[in-house]
Amino acid sequence: MIDPGASAERTRLAWRRTGLSAAAVGLLAARPAIHPDAGARAWLIAALAMAAWVAMVALGYHRSRGLRARPPRPARRAIPVYAALAVALAALGGLVVML
Amino acid sequence: MTPPVNNQHVLGALRQWFDPEKQPTVGRTPDYRFSLANERTFLAWIRTGLALIAGGLACAQFLPPLPVEHLREVIAIALLLLGGVVALRAVDHWARTERAMRLGQELPGSKFPAILALAVAAGAVLLIVAVLIKAAE
Repeated sequence: MIDPGASAERTRLAWRRTGLSAAAVGLLAARPAIHPDAGARAWLIAALAMAAWVAMVALGYHRSRGLRARPPRPARRAIPVYAALAVALAALGGLVVML
Repeated sequence: MTPPVNNQHVLGALRQWFDPEKQPTVGRTPDYRFSLANERTFLAWIRTGLALIAGGLACAQFLPPLPVEHLREVIAIALLLLGGVVALRAVDHWARTERAMRLGQELPGSKFPAILALAVAAGAVLLIVAVLIKAAE
């Protein structure tokens, strides 16, 4: 099927690069846990950050499948949930800074 | 008298975030290319927010302790807060744009990019001043 302007494909790639940005944030939030004498709190934060990142990538993947349909399915709930996960990463970052 | 109205307004906005198509059922479905463009704009804002969050985390982890006590942590928290606000604003703007497109109205304007630009510029100026003071000592 034709996709004039390749808008579905461009949107799919936008989801992918946003997932990559989230990976950078997740790794930075998990970094304190790599320290040799990291405590349980650092590990917990790292686990939560990785979970948020996995959820974001999974949402992006799910959305990519919706974008493959013809015509592409509307985004709906994926968008507020994605933003909420980004805010959760910011909150985890706050914990990293405070602890 | 105003609080109920405000509450309703907030709830309505939240519902609109989660389902701009149904809240309320208005207008007609726009050309999907317009919706996808709106979605890409949302994602670009999310990346902006994530970059601010990454900057905050990098500040906290890679800067040496600054001469002013806790300044490093204050900068990091400010960047993290800014990143969170950018992400929330991104959904709100996405939902309002989606609704405007369904109703065939003018797309919502926003002062937010200008405010964000001013905030980032102010931060840069502060850092330049700090670097100059450090160099003069």
